[in-house]
Amino acid sequence: MTQTLDSDLRTTAGALAMDNLRAQIEGMLRDATARRLPARSESGLIELILLRGHLLGRVSDYEWATALAEQLAVETPDDGNAHLALARTRATLHRFRDALAELEEATRLGGDPREVDGERAVVLQAVGRYDEALAIFISADDLRSDFTSLGNLATVHADRGDTATAEELFAASRERYRGVSPIPVAQLDFKRAHMWIAAGNLGRARAWLESAVRRLPAYAPAVGHLAEVEAALGETDSAIARLLPLATTSDDPDYAAQLAHIFDGRHEREESRYWRNVAAARYDELVERHVEAFADHAAEFWLDAGDLKRALPLAVKNFEVRPTGRAANLVARATR
Amino acid sequence: MSDHGSGPRAFSDSALDITDMFVFPSPERSGSLVLVLNVFPFAGPTARFSDVVDYRFRIRPVSVDPSARVFDVGDTEYVFSCVFNAPAGGDVQEGTCIAPNGESLTFRVGEEGTAGDSYRVFAGQRMDPFFFDGPAVIRSIMTRQLAFTNPGYSTVAHQNVLSIVIECDRSAMFPDDQGPLFAVVGETAIAGAPQFRLERYGRPDIKNVVLFPKGFDPVNSDLEIRDLYNEEDAFALGPAYLGAFHSRMNANLAFWDGLDGKVDWPLSADGAHPLTELLLADFMVVDVSKPFSGDGTFFEIERAMQNGATHATCGGRAPNDDCMGTFMNVFVNAGNGPQLTHGIDGPAVPASDEFPYLVPPELNPPTPKLPSLGQAKTGR
Repeated sequence: MTQTLDSDLRTTAGALAMDNLRAQIEGMLRDATARRLPARSESGLIELILLRGHLLGRVSDYEWATALAEQLAVETPDDGNAHLALARTRATLHRFRDALAELEEATRLGGDPREVDGERAVVLQAVGRYDEALAIFISADDLRSDFTSLGNLATVHADRGDTATAEELFAASRERYRGVSPIPVAQLDFKRAHMWIAAGNLGRARAWLESAVRRLPAYAPAVGHLAEVEAALGETDSAIARLLPLATTSDDPDYAAQLAHIFDGRHEREESRYWRNVAAARYDELVERHVEAFADHAAEFWLDAGDLKRALPLAVKNFEVRPTGRAANLVARATR
Repeated sequence: MSDHGSGPRAFSDSALDITDMFVFPSPERSGSLVLVLNVFPFAGPTARFSDVVDYRFRIRPVSVDPSARVFDVGDTEYVFSCVFNAPAGGDVQEGTCIAPNGESLTFRVGEEGTAGDSYRVFAGQRMDPFFFDGPAVIRSIMTRQLAFTNPGYSTVAHQNVLSIVIECDRSAMFPDDQGPLFAVVGETAIAGAPQFRLERYGRPDIKNVVLFPKGFDPVNSDLEIRDLYNEEDAFALGPAYLGAFHSRMNANLAFWDGLDGKVDWPLSADGAHPLTELLLADFMVVDVSKPFSGDGTFFEIERAMQNGATHATCGGRAPNDDCMGTFMNVFVNAGNGPQLTHGIDGPAVPASDEFPYLVPPELNPPTPKLPSLGQAKTGR
């Protein structure tokens, strides 16, 4: 299956694409330095930094992008693009209410309606308002049905648990790809895998994760989820080999938490304790600074560690931030 | 900006984003033609060519049809095709170029030129030679008034791009009975078969200045048209979007014409702008029989053709040529004056008269003065 998946689209080598992403960011930073870029371009720079943060699992990039967006909004308060950029950073750190407020401001200031609506749909989807998100994505797809619009539709159906419709849309989206960057395709495959993990089909999830990782080896969340699937299938050696480099290069504690869980399952208590301590310290740090963004995973972490007392308030906070079925389930597990 | 970020696809992947093309007789070697294709706007030090993109020049002979005052494009096509590898680790990237005469050259990116029997090639980072006040264009569109200042603000000054420079012996590439007028298009396309065109370039700022503004278009006022335009074959536009291209170009050219408060380009009864057909034939025309004559040759062949006159220069475009000054004066006042300026006289550092002509990249950018990065630290 994966061989077929990989032979159908020719994309730039993953390492080269990551070098180029870095080159784009560094080149644009030169102009941002002197404040020579118009807000529209600078919001593009912020988007690239957020993208790198996602791909490499770097919270520091999210924070950097946030700082840039806040500065941009102060310097150009009347530019819709500045508020759109700020909304994106707010949404990335799960400050969804703030993100929606910034999108309102972007609309008021004449931001590109299509871009603003697209971002609004992403936020609505994140907080479980799937019907509203779907309506926006359907209207964008009516206008021009392409890789992005079909991929967006697929993820909403995936979040609703409609895997059959989502699967068709994922396939249609992939067929419409007209670029050579491996990044959008790897992201799409990752989302598809995420759906199959939620649906409990680890075989399918694994195929799409392997596809994403083959295309973009540095894609940290895909590597992390592939390790998660491997561990669930009993292939813990391979999972550990994937996670160790991530746990040392990424500043996201998820990978350390995963290692702690796997070592615990293998009764390697000392290793497990080490990684649990690493994760705990980092979650504490991040919850202090960005509670909305890390309440979910930190709650999972403390649940796994058997500390319901620490897990519950985080699970409740997460449910406040986005009242989805998954969030409700997390609260239920923390109160059992 | 010339062709920087000329559409969503280009924005999302700089390695395929053509920023400029230059075509001019060699100032160094009589009888040679120079072709330059720049990609990757705002290139940082780690920028590389894609390993799945064919960076190519498509060249066809053209002749002037004096009655219709348009170019007749020949069927024979000459292609320079350059592809690159994906280097392992910190290795230097290598490329291979195949010329129309079949001669193949393998070269290392960044080295100062590799020579074969009939041509030489350079690929690597150079300083972006384009000069124009991009924000003033946006302000002009938003305010519907000419918003250029003197001095202007050169958007990409001291920024770097990835360049491919080819200098070929024209007699080894083109038969004697072809030319001397040739039309050149620069393209990025997915290498191998089937090929898919990602970007194309014929003349500067056709996409970003002439096609990008949507608000004046009476037919498709919400259509991002540039990626559709990029996918088309410049030598044979397909029928599917031809109407949309006409509508957008007619409307936007009329907008630019009206910015000085007078109409220099009266539209036809059906709303066609006199420049639309010429600009839709989006390729750069060069006369290889004429010597390099420095600046001021850009669009001269086209203007002479429109006026029913014989052109006097090599046409094409050299890196120091103020092509946007030329276009501003053509678009806004048809060359009838008064002379308009965008307030920038030339590149941040002028191109040289020696191969590879474009100047080395800016290696010492200003020190970033950015907001603090928060408290997060990478790694442990």
